[in-house]
Amino acid sequence: MSEQRKPEPFSTVPRLQLPNVNRRTLIVGGGLAAAGIVLASQIRELTRGRASVFVAKNQKYDGPLVQTMRDGLIACGLVPDQIKGKRILLKPNLVEPSRDAPHMTTHPAIILAAAEVFRTWGGDVIVGEGPGHVRDTEMALVESGVADALDSMHLPFSDLNYEEVVWTPNRGRASKLPGFFFPRSVAEADLVVSLPKMKTHHWVGVTAAMKNLYGVIPGIKYGWPKNVLHHNGIPETVFDINASLPQTIAIVDGIDCMEGDGPIMGTKKPMGLLVMGTSPTAVDATICRLMDVNPQQVPYLALAANRLGPLDKRLIDQRGEAWEPLQSTFQMLDKPHLRALVRHRGVLVS
Amino acid sequence: MDDWLQTVLDDLAKSSACGYLPQQTAATEPSVLAALALNGHGRTEAAQAVLDYLARAQQTDGSVGVRATEATPGWPTSLAVIAWQLFAADQHQGRIARGMKWISGMHGETLERSPEMGHNTLLDGWPWAAGTHSWLEPTAFHLLAYRAVKQRSHPRAAEAVRLLIDRQLPDGGCNYGNTTVLGQTLRPHVQPTGIALLALAGESDPSGRMEKSLTWLKWSLGSRTTASSLSWALHGLHAHGREVPQAAELLRGAYQRVQSHDQSPHKFALLALAALGEQSPLIGITRMDTPA
Repeated sequence: MSEQRKPEPFSTVPRLQLPNVNRRTLIVGGGLAAAGIVLASQIRELTRGRASVFVAKNQKYDGPLVQTMRDGLIACGLVPDQIKGKRILLKPNLVEPSRDAPHMTTHPAIILAAAEVFRTWGGDVIVGEGPGHVRDTEMALVESGVADALDSMHLPFSDLNYEEVVWTPNRGRASKLPGFFFPRSVAEADLVVSLPKMKTHHWVGVTAAMKNLYGVIPGIKYGWPKNVLHHNGIPETVFDINASLPQTIAIVDGIDCMEGDGPIMGTKKPMGLLVMGTSPTAVDATICRLMDVNPQQVPYLALAANRLGPLDKRLIDQRGEAWEPLQSTFQMLDKPHLRALVRHRGVLVS
Repeated sequence: MDDWLQTVLDDLAKSSACGYLPQQTAATEPSVLAALALNGHGRTEAAQAVLDYLARAQQTDGSVGVRATEATPGWPTSLAVIAWQLFAADQHQGRIARGMKWISGMHGETLERSPEMGHNTLLDGWPWAAGTHSWLEPTAFHLLAYRAVKQRSHPRAAEAVRLLIDRQLPDGGCNYGNTTVLGQTLRPHVQPTGIALLALAGESDPSGRMEKSLTWLKWSLGSRTTASSLSWALHGLHAHGREVPQAAELLRGAYQRVQSHDQSPHKFALLALAALGEQSPLIGITRMDTPA
């Protein structure tokens, strides 16, 4: 029998391996410029350590989502003209879909609205996902309702679990992994749009834009679940994947959310929000504040702070609605590793 | 023979070493399934390309990677061994022996028992990738490899049986490999349940959970069940002698969906295999080596 190994969901971060902050910032800025998608002002924002996040309230799945997304992305500095001719990969969260729990996965209306926005701006749009728990991706599409949605707009879909792969060096180096196998459609995208669901997560507290990108990792190489990542530390590999991907932005489905035992077995929490921005780290920090969670206590966000984007609210330019009046405490599992995330013990549930 | 099945077999015969999707580089899993389907339907010659592929793909350590161009991870080694054993065991004894040596030396990482995880984390099975925990589907595939080479009594095979029974959910069905996490019972899924039940055919389970899984699996099938899940579910049910009267109708519906969407050779091969019912060679494996 092989040597026993203790689970280490919160293994110590090897901080000495982290890249120099200023150099990291420049690397990211260089990547953005290479993609040719974002404004020079955004690069200046990044080099100053700032980012913009747009919050929209009173949103519904049958509402004017396209207009909200257009307004929000432009408010965060995205220039529609720069999308023309670019390969845009929309990455929803379809981790383990069930018709009994539609609040677990990104709503099809969010995917369709994002596709319309980027198609209208001239982008070559595909939807891609590598579900983390189920090998039958077709089943994930059908159960989530996304299959019918894709058909309605003739949107191509890339099964990221089985695509041919491209080796990419690990530019984060928080974990020991020397690099990642990214599916070809991810590696070749000019822009990856993370389309997560706003949820609690029973190991790392919160899952939104950054954690959703676990789903670009191919199961054929990493397994179902993507256990290679778990064994190398969830926070570290979330950080590393985000540091190594092409240019990434985020649009978060915060309309019907999940609290309690997320990301799979939690309960529905309606919030009516859309949250977006060109820095997934800053978007996730704002998501945490909306959930009444301290982003500094979320391990992968603590790693990303001032390396991939800002967490400090003084460094995040709020567009649209202010987050403070919209804050609503999300229940968390009453587990030792989650207690530091919440201010009030009353929100812990078994 | 149904029209759709004739079409599928004709297409698979043109290129039995195939990828998961059309135009993709050949991959081990879909290629083996295509070869088994062709062989099962009497088109043995057309499956020869897969044996050539597998011969090229086998590494010096005996493993067979996910694609001929990707040597790791080696979880499809189990499928390669099954193909060699079923097609031409005499010709491939060396390859089979090297493959089984790699399989017997590959272990999932065990974890200290914890109240947070409902399954027995000390049981030894197979991981998807080296250095990680044992999961349900790779353990089932490797158990099938042991059964194919008539080594069901091997200690690794016996422990795999215990693992697969341990991973059945309390009310039936299987998740991808967990049962309860942090006190919450997880959801069952059709595909892993079908694969686990196929590998467990002929085994006894005094706890009654395997019987509950069979009941759940049969109940869960419907017009929405997709090709891969449906095919494995039919294998799991037929391996235990359970009849599925609507199988032909479900297979046709699943075929039409694949045909109008991704035209995946992997899914076509699975559907063709499932159309063999109890005559599927994967079920035949379990009949050859059922313990007394």
